[in-house]
Amino acid sequence: MATIAERRLSAPRLEPWQDPKAAPYVHIERVTKKFGDVYAVDDLSLDIFQGEFFSLLGSSGCGKSTLLRLLAGLEYPSAGRIFIDGVDVTNVPPYSRPVNMMFQSYALFPHMSVEQNVEFGLKQDRLPRRERAERVGEMLDLLKISELRRRRPEQLSGGQRQRVALARSLAKHPKLLLLDEPLGALDKRLRENTQFELVNLQERLGITFVTVTHDQEEAMTMSTRIAIMDAGQIMQLDTPTAIYEFPSCRFVAEFIGSVNLFEGKIVSSDGDRVVVDTRLGRPIHMRSFLPHPIGTPVTVAVRPEKMRLCQEFREDGVNQLKGTVEDIAYLGDVSIYRIRVGDGQLVEMTLTNIQPRTEQALTWEQEVAIEWSPTSGVVLTE
Amino acid sequence: MKRRSWPLLGVLAFGYAFLYVPILLLILYSFNESRLVTVWSGFSFKWYGELLHNRQLLDAAWLSVRIAAVNATVAMILGTLAANALTRHGRFRGRTGFELLLTAPLVMPDVIIGLSLLLLFVAMQQTIGWPDGRGFTTIAIAHITFSMAYVTVVVRSRLARMDASLEEAAMDLGARPLTVYLRITLPLIAPALLSGWLLAFTLSLDDLVIASFVSGPGSTTLPMVVYSSVRMGVSPQINALATLIVAIVALAVIVAGWTMRQKPDRAQKRGA
Repeated sequence: MATIAERRLSAPRLEPWQDPKAAPYVHIERVTKKFGDVYAVDDLSLDIFQGEFFSLLGSSGCGKSTLLRLLAGLEYPSAGRIFIDGVDVTNVPPYSRPVNMMFQSYALFPHMSVEQNVEFGLKQDRLPRRERAERVGEMLDLLKISELRRRRPEQLSGGQRQRVALARSLAKHPKLLLLDEPLGALDKRLRENTQFELVNLQERLGITFVTVTHDQEEAMTMSTRIAIMDAGQIMQLDTPTAIYEFPSCRFVAEFIGSVNLFEGKIVSSDGDRVVVDTRLGRPIHMRSFLPHPIGTPVTVAVRPEKMRLCQEFREDGVNQLKGTVEDIAYLGDVSIYRIRVGDGQLVEMTLTNIQPRTEQALTWEQEVAIEWSPTSGVVLTE
Repeated sequence: MKRRSWPLLGVLAFGYAFLYVPILLLILYSFNESRLVTVWSGFSFKWYGELLHNRQLLDAAWLSVRIAAVNATVAMILGTLAANALTRHGRFRGRTGFELLLTAPLVMPDVIIGLSLLLLFVAMQQTIGWPDGRGFTTIAIAHITFSMAYVTVVVRSRLARMDASLEEAAMDLGARPLTVYLRITLPLIAPALLSGWLLAFTLSLDDLVIASFVSGPGSTTLPMVVYSSVRMGVSPQINALATLIVAIVALAVIVAGWTMRQKPDRAQKRGA
C-alpha cells in the first residue's frame, strides 16, 4: 500500500475526492440520528477517502461528536447506512469494527499501567504474548513514551495522557482512527507542537484520520478537508483554503475567521464581474463565477486582511471607502483596526506591523481611506 | 507554635466521651469479678471462661455470622445487578416502579417488613411447602430483601460517577460487553462492592426486629439472645462477648485501613 507521500508524487495532482473513480473509504449515506425529538445528525451524506486527515468542525451541539460516535459504533443511526471499506457496518457493534477512537477525556483505564492500557486492545484480539509485547514496544517508541510504561494514568501529565491514549488507539493498527477533540485538553503551546506531530504521524502510518474539533485553527492546520457542521448538517465540505477563501454561505464565512459583510442587491452582471449596490453609498465591484440575475439580494464577504490602506482616494475609485479609526487592537505581529465608514458600519482591517508600533501612521479618530480588490472576496447568496 | 483552644478541646473531649464511654464501660465490666454489672469488685477473666461454655450464646453468634455472610454476599450480587440496570440500561419499561420498590425498604419501618415477610413465608409454606418452617433460610431471605436496597444505593452512586467513556473505549478496542464488565467496570467499582458487602453484613448482624418475626424455634440470632437475656438481667457474659466483637471489628478496621494506605505507596514506587 502506498503512503500518501508516494501517492502524491506518483499520481497526477488529482486528490481522491476530485477523482470520480476513487472509491470512498468511509461512505455515509443519508444518515439521521435522533435523540428523542432532537435531530443530532440530519439526513447527512459524506464520503471520506483513504489517507485523508478529515475534520468535522462546528460549535458545540452541531452533531459532529454524534457523527463520530456513529462511525465508532457507539451510537446506531435512526435512518441511513454507513459503509467502511465497502462493508455495511450500520448495525455492527463497536467491538467488531475496524475502527479505533481516541476519546476526548482520553478514557485511560485508571487501574492499569500505561503498558497494560496499550496492550488491552491486542489482548482482545488474542495475539500471542510475544507479538503483543513487540507491538506495545513499537507504539511506546513511536510516541516517545517508553519511559512511562509502568506508570498509572493518574501519575501522568495531560500531554503524556494524550500520547498514551493515541498509542492505545493506534496499537491495533486500525485503518481508520477517530479522534474526538484530540488536542482539546492541552495548553496552547503543547497544542501547536502536537498538531504537527499528529499530521506527521498520520502521513507516516497512512491511516485515515477523522477528527472532531471546535477549534478552527486546529482544523485549518491539520486537515486535508474540513466539513463545517451546523444543526446536524454539513454547511460546506472542502479543503481548508477553499473554505477560508471561498465560503459558500454566510454561516461558513462568519464561522471561520473574521469577515466584513456588506448586504446589497446585484445591479449589473457582466461575465464574471458583478456590481452590488449597498448602503455604503457606492457600488461594490466583485468577481463572481456564479450567474447572478439583476436584483438578487446578496452579501459581499471580505476578510479583514484583504483590506488595505488606500494610497490614492478617488470619488470613482473601485471599492474605496472613507472612514474614521474607532478601535485598534495591537496583537504584536498584526494590528486589527475597526473603521467606521459612511453609513455607520464598522469595517475590520488587519495590517501587518511592518514598522514598530510606536512609529505607526494610524491612530484613533484618524480619517482614513481603505480599499480592496474585486478578486479578494466572495459574493454570497445565502 | 499551635495555639491551644481550651473550649474547642473540651468539645472534642465531650464528643469522644459521648461516643466511646459506653463502649469502654462495657469492656471494663467484662473483666469484673462480680455478677452485678454495676458494681466493681475486682479483675477477672471469669466471664470469658463461662462464655466459652455457654452453648446457647455461642450458637446464636455463629448463626448470626453465617446469616450475615450469606446475606452480604447475595445482597452484594443482587444489589450490583440492580444498580447496573438503573445506571446502564436507559429508560426501560417499568424503571420508575423498579426504582421505587428498591428504595422502599430504606424507608419502610422494620416492623412492617418483618410482619409482611412472616405472612408471606407462612402463606408460601401452606401453598408450595417451601420454606419448610422458619429459621436460617427465612432470616437470610428477609435480610437480603432490605440490605440489597442499601447495596444498590452504594454501588449505583459509584457507577454513576464512573466515566462511561471508559467502557466505550474498552468496547472500541474490541472487548465484548462481558469482558468490558469483568475487566473494566468491576475492578473500578470494587471498592463500592466491598463497602456494600460490609454494610449488608453489619445490617444483618445487628437486626433484631425483622429477625424476630421470621425466625423459628431453634434459630435464635445473637441480637435476639442478647435482648432476651437483658430482660431477665444482664449477665457479664454479654459484656465479654461484646468486648470480643469490638476487638474483632477494631482489628478488621485497622487492617483494612492499613492495606488501603499501603496501596498508593506501592503504586508510586513502581511508577518511579
